[in-house]
Amino acid sequence: MNRVKVLQAWLWCVSLWSCWLSHAIPLDCKDETGSLIQCTSISQEKLLDRVIQHAELIYRVSEESCTLFIVSSQLENMQRMMEDMFVPYPLHALRNQGGTVCHTKPFPIPGSKTEIQQISDKWLLHSVLMLVQSWMEPLIYLQTTLNRYDDAPDALLNKTKWVSDKLLSLEQGVVVLIRKMLDEGILTPSVFEHTLTPYDEPSPEIPESVLRDYNLLICFKKDAHKMETFLKLLKCRQSNKLSCLSY
Amino acid sequence: SFYRPHFTGCRSREQETFRCWWSAGIFQNLTEPGALRVFYQTKNFLSEWQECPDYTRTVKNECYFNKTFTQIWTSYCIQLRSVRENITYDEACFTVENIVHPDPPIGLNWTLLNVSRSGLHFDVLVRWAPPPSADVQMGWMSLVYQVQYRVRNNSHWEMLDLESGTQQSIYGLHTDKEYEVRVRCKMSAFDNFGEFSDSIIVHVAQIPSKESTFPTTLVLIFGVIGVVILLVLLIFSQQQRLMVIFLPPIPAPKIKGIDPELLKNGKLDQLNSLLSSQDMYKPDFYHEDPWVEFIQLDLDDPAEKNESSDTQHLLGVSRSGSSHVLNFKSDDDSGRASCYDPEIPNPEDLASLLPGHSGRGDNHPLVSRSSSSIPDLGVQQTSEVEETPIQTQPAVPSWVNMDFYAQVSDFTPAGGVVLSPGQLNSCPEKKKEEENEKKIQFQLVSDGAYTSENTARQLSASVPPSPGPEQGYQTFPTQAVEGNLWNGEYLVSTSDSQTPYLLPEAPPAPILPPVSDYTVVQEVDAQHSLLLNPPSSQPAICPHSPNKHLPAMPTMPMGYLTPDLLGNLTP
Repeated sequence: MNRVKVLQAWLWCVSLWSCWLSHAIPLDCKDETGSLIQCTSISQEKLLDRVIQHAELIYRVSEESCTLFIVSSQLENMQRMMEDMFVPYPLHALRNQGGTVCHTKPFPIPGSKTEIQQISDKWLLHSVLMLVQSWMEPLIYLQTTLNRYDDAPDALLNKTKWVSDKLLSLEQGVVVLIRKMLDEGILTPSVFEHTLTPYDEPSPEIPESVLRDYNLLICFKKDAHKMETFLKLLKCRQSNKLSCLSY
Repeated sequence: SFYRPHFTGCRSREQETFRCWWSAGIFQNLTEPGALRVFYQTKNFLSEWQECPDYTRTVKNECYFNKTFTQIWTSYCIQLRSVRENITYDEACFTVENIVHPDPPIGLNWTLLNVSRSGLHFDVLVRWAPPPSADVQMGWMSLVYQVQYRVRNNSHWEMLDLESGTQQSIYGLHTDKEYEVRVRCKMSAFDNFGEFSDSIIVHVAQIPSKESTFPTTLVLIFGVIGVVILLVLLIFSQQQRLMVIFLPPIPAPKIKGIDPELLKNGKLDQLNSLLSSQDMYKPDFYHEDPWVEFIQLDLDDPAEKNESSDTQHLLGVSRSGSSHVLNFKSDDDSGRASCYDPEIPNPEDLASLLPGHSGRGDNHPLVSRSSSSIPDLGVQQTSEVEETPIQTQPAVPSWVNMDFYAQVSDFTPAGGVVLSPGQLNSCPEKKKEEENEKKIQFQLVSDGAYTSENTARQLSASVPPSPGPEQGYQTFPTQAVEGNLWNGEYLVSTSDSQTPYLLPEAPPAPILPPVSDYTVVQEVDAQHSLLLNPPSSQPAICPHSPNKHLPAMPTMPMGYLTPDLLGNLTP
């Protein structure tokens, strides 16, 4: 009787555990044709490298999008015109101040190197995940607004679309990293209020939407830089903890 | 705005600290230290305006923000104020990462990759290290590098693409030239380059290699000579082919003729089609008659024939007979076909004609062989008796009392044609009314192949217009023909001595033993003799008696007009 009970309990536990495992795995592995296949395992180091690659690419593309937006929207030309007339133009302010009007995060992220170096791995990963998740909706919103412009270059639209897709993969990777490195489950994505406060003094010549979109791109570029920096710091810590600490 | 006190710039070297500088402008009273002060504010926290944490003592008008006060991803605003006057002369806002100008890379060196074969070019690999101030390892700064080089003392710098690694290759440098190489870096995704590193000199001495050029020219010369020799050999070996290609032979005349091979081995119907399709006869020559006039037999009155020799009959053109044309193509004359049965000629008729005939060939109902050779007549044979288009037409002339059709039963060795009058008058009597008097012109071509156009013209010229649509050849009684007339020459029937063709006249019909009307030339044997259908049996379909008014023939070889016989015919 005992044996049977033990066996039953063990079987039940195994089935439960496999059930939980299968539910806990958020990733669907797909091969080239798109059919679901069994996920191949990947080492933590490689996964981190891949995640960093994603973040680097996203950051670079976001910067290109900013440049492209500036060029195509001819904000610089307008700025030159305005400057010639000694009218302060918000473009420089936007560029240099980038981030003042970005949407707020649930928790502040430190900006100094020393402070960042003191952040734990856990908080690094969670910060990255939070950043990624906070930008998914705004990017979709940005795509719709960019489509409304008549002369928005296709390259800009393509880049925005590409970034949206890559963000999804990045999120998946970070989730797996969290699970592997921190042995945690999945965090429920928090809902962010995307309050994009319009710029204080929108110029009457430039439509407000253009400035708003440019500001969005600037903010995204900044956050992408954050993601990349955090992930690289994480990688540095994985390989050699001593050299990554501030001296 | 340069006259007023203003900020001249802010820079960060490693994204951990930054400095700002200002100028007092032309305001001399503000140049003393402390007159102008810098206040900053980080917009993130919307904090108060704070004064510059550190005015550098050693450098004039510089404000230094150390690590503690430097935050990235944060926008700073700085103000240049004159506290005494409470005037803000200048304001600037920025984020630290946007003002980063990295330090120059260190440790620039080069290694030679390779030298070209000619010794004129070489490639180098340039290496460097990131600036020590930039924390690349931690990932705090991601740097990209740009290498520039130029010929020494030149003014223009060549720029290579941005490189994220710490080495780059430079290709295509000239030996014996001194190059300057330098490198600088910037943060990826940002625009501000740092300062250039110190230049290094790259120089590779040219190795004097006289022998390198020498073998090249020698090789070239020998190569060219070898190719020329090959070409000459090729031309000489393939001379014939090349001649054909480059100097194509003049095409043969387009007149279709009779292939001698075809005549030897082919089918008679092909020959008939060939001959009938030949359109070399102009209408003015040949009037309405499209058929080829090959055989023209002069048919005289039987009464006259009784008196004249065969040769005369053979040659005589004064007799107005009906001219028949050897019709090689089967036409759809109703009456003739029924009587035409070359397979079963009257054996009795041919007996006198072909006394020498003993046996027949395997496939030929009528085979006439002659011991003597006959010049190549070039007449096609056929094995298909039913299809043979060689039709004979009934002869109209009364003298011969022959049918319209005449059948060549045999040939003399000298080339004479032996006709078998056979059932000449049997069936095609009804056709006599249809037919007009025609003259059979029998012309033999001795050299085979085909009749040339000239000869054809001559042929047709000598032929009186034959109005009837049906032609045929008439078999005339085999007669002895003088051999000398057949000595490889053509027998001329008409007075036109120019025509080198044989025009045997139809001998008087009564003389000839009854032979079948027509026979089919089965084949030409090796001795160039025509093998005709054996006149063994009577044509069954012919209701009339085959043995009809066949002229008596002098005894002669089977079906052949021997030369001596032919000689008798000479006028």
